[in-house]
Amino acid sequence: MSNLMSQSTAVIVMNIRSLPRRLWMSLAMVFASAVVVAILLAFLAMAKGFEATMQSAGSDDVAFFMRTGSAAELNSSASREQVNLIENAPGILKDEQGPLVSPELYVIVDGVKKSTQQEANIPLRGLSQRGVDMRNGFTLTAGRMFTPGTDELIVGAGILREFDGFDLGQEIRFGKYTWKVVGVFSTGGNVFESELWADAKVIQNLYNRGSSYQTVRARIGSSDDLTAINEYLESEPRLTHEVQTESAYFATQGKSLEYMAIFGWVISSIMALGALAGALNTMYTSVSDRSMEIATLRAIGFSSLSAFIGTMVEAMTLAVIGSLVGALAAFIFFDGMNASTLGGSFTQVVFSFQLTSELFIQGITLALIIGFVSGFFPAWRAARVPVIVAFQSAR
Amino acid sequence: MKDLYLVYKNLTRKKMRLFLTTFAIFIAFLIFGAIMTLRGALNSGVEMSADNRLVVVHKTNFTNPLPYSYVNKTQAIEGVKQVTHANWFGGYYQEPANQVVTFAVEPESYLAVYPELVIEPEQRKAWLNNQASILVGERIALANGWKVGDRIPLSSNIFSHKEGGQTWDFVIEGIFRGAEQKTDTSYLLFHYKYFKETQSWGGDSIGWLILTTEDAAMNESVAKAIDNNFANSNAETDTSTEQAFNKAFIEQIGNIGLIIFGVVFMAFFTILIVVGNTMVLAIRERTAEIAVLKTLGFASIRIFKMVLIESCLLAFLGGLLGLGGAYLLIQGASENLARFLPNLVLDQNILLQALGYMLLLGLITGIAPAISALKLNIITAFNRG
Repeated sequence: MSNLMSQSTAVIVMNIRSLPRRLWMSLAMVFASAVVVAILLAFLAMAKGFEATMQSAGSDDVAFFMRTGSAAELNSSASREQVNLIENAPGILKDEQGPLVSPELYVIVDGVKKSTQQEANIPLRGLSQRGVDMRNGFTLTAGRMFTPGTDELIVGAGILREFDGFDLGQEIRFGKYTWKVVGVFSTGGNVFESELWADAKVIQNLYNRGSSYQTVRARIGSSDDLTAINEYLESEPRLTHEVQTESAYFATQGKSLEYMAIFGWVISSIMALGALAGALNTMYTSVSDRSMEIATLRAIGFSSLSAFIGTMVEAMTLAVIGSLVGALAAFIFFDGMNASTLGGSFTQVVFSFQLTSELFIQGITLALIIGFVSGFFPAWRAARVPVIVAFQSAR
Repeated sequence: MKDLYLVYKNLTRKKMRLFLTTFAIFIAFLIFGAIMTLRGALNSGVEMSADNRLVVVHKTNFTNPLPYSYVNKTQAIEGVKQVTHANWFGGYYQEPANQVVTFAVEPESYLAVYPELVIEPEQRKAWLNNQASILVGERIALANGWKVGDRIPLSSNIFSHKEGGQTWDFVIEGIFRGAEQKTDTSYLLFHYKYFKETQSWGGDSIGWLILTTEDAAMNESVAKAIDNNFANSNAETDTSTEQAFNKAFIEQIGNIGLIIFGVVFMAFFTILIVVGNTMVLAIRERTAEIAVLKTLGFASIRIFKMVLIESCLLAFLGGLLGLGGAYLLIQGASENLARFLPNLVLDQNILLQALGYMLLLGLITGIAPAISALKLNIITAFNRG
């Protein structure tokens, strides 16, 4: 056993030291696996970042009411009467001023994207202080809260970052009406930061919404209370709503970029096949380049297994170096990269790419597979070629 | 002829390497073809837009409704040829996830504004005459297996039916095709009047207006006249050309589109670099042989050509196979993606670009070894070998 160990070590050292002779071929293999890993990680980080932005927005102790079948906040509706009925639902917590309920509405307005200078959809959400209190991690990072009953609004940090014209103190026109930015808020990086907030009643007035709202949020003790609320909704014919926890709603919304991760796997797997072809070329060249050495070693008593291991280690080393370079490049270029795209409610969601250690492991696994396959067959050849043939072909 | 035989022999001397190199090139062009086609499909709305068609939307955002009276007011503006309007229905078929793009429109004027939608005359008549019927695009019909005469339930994630529920029953009276292969036919059209009468909210509002101008040169003045006409009203408008509107809409997908295409192009070029490297080395290996050929009296320029032909042949072998693969892939995917994307077409442009890249790959990988073969001094070559 120790004999095999020392033989293998000797062969590995020889292989590695002979690498400069095959510098370009070896670099090509490193480069190819680096790019495959970087591409996979770019897509995965995109899907992950979007999902995190959505998922961290929802709380388990907020019940979220939407009209049945509306799928997204934008499509939902709730009349004043229906909101009153929802306020009477069992399980909703109360304080001195009554039930902790936030009826909200949603108008889509145009903002000019910094990156393209094109107009894109932004949600202008109407809510009250109660609704603001239901957002975990809400802080005003600049300015102050909007005053109810006025045309003041506060702007999410994500909007400020990606769109022009929302700086503190500025006036903005949406159609006929002018709004004033009086504050900037953060909710810890989640999707609410891609919104503008103003007083619900003012929005109802300005945008001809009468007294109607779209969705209702309500503070509950725990998600167990949903059963009672559901029974209440079914027994009340004037309500056409369904309820879920806010976190469940955003978990579903977060899945809408999942196809990106799938697309990333498909593309990088196809790419990996191409890289594999290149890597196999490299390794076959390596074996034929060293055939004289291999034959010599075998002739003086080295086992064929050591020749096999030597080649395998060379391939795996190159692939791992490549994957590390690729992962590093992905980290430098993509981690934290700002992006925005259309979310489920037909408005822009601002998010950042997120590279987690779990994604790194997926990337490196892919590189190891490339390394293994591209090493195995050439290594097999190195181990199997009869000594005499190896000497002949080397000449 | 003899030269070609030599080239062939050189190419096939190491079968494994030939296979691997061809395969890598194949993969590169497979990705190229598929991605370019996908990009083309995303941009087809911009590419296929008519140059005298304008879109009028609410100034605040195009999702806000406009009053119905705007239809006639706009028609009266000078330079406007034909106005029509549409409402977003938020349609889905059976499952909320199975979204179907559905517009409630004024049938006759809509077909006049979109002459690229082709329908059999009797189907057209039947659809116009039956208010409770629907006109279906060819692609979406294919994707769902719908035929003329079928009854389909169509639900809305926005509107409710007067008689309760959110599902409308429609009979398919016609299927429209596109005048061109790239014309989008993945949506449904039904009567606005019927929509207005059967949905529970009532109200006479429309989503947006589409109009044609007398002449594309008048676009700008007509757009200005329309927006001025509705300035300071409760619903101010924003008029743009169909092309600009579609472009802005596509760009809402945002820089992730840019990132995806950037990343995939990087992949394409990486494979080419890796493969090119292998091809260069493969020819370098043969320095001694080239010296032999020269000794035998082959003219330098002849060897130069042979080396170039060999590398180009390899590039085109893998590249054309890859494009063929992409074509098959697209044929298969096109139907499955009918709900999300307009027609996937690997068009002439993409083909030409791909051929250009193949030639470039062949030339770049062949040129360095070819030049060194051209300049090769027989004596030094033999000394080295």
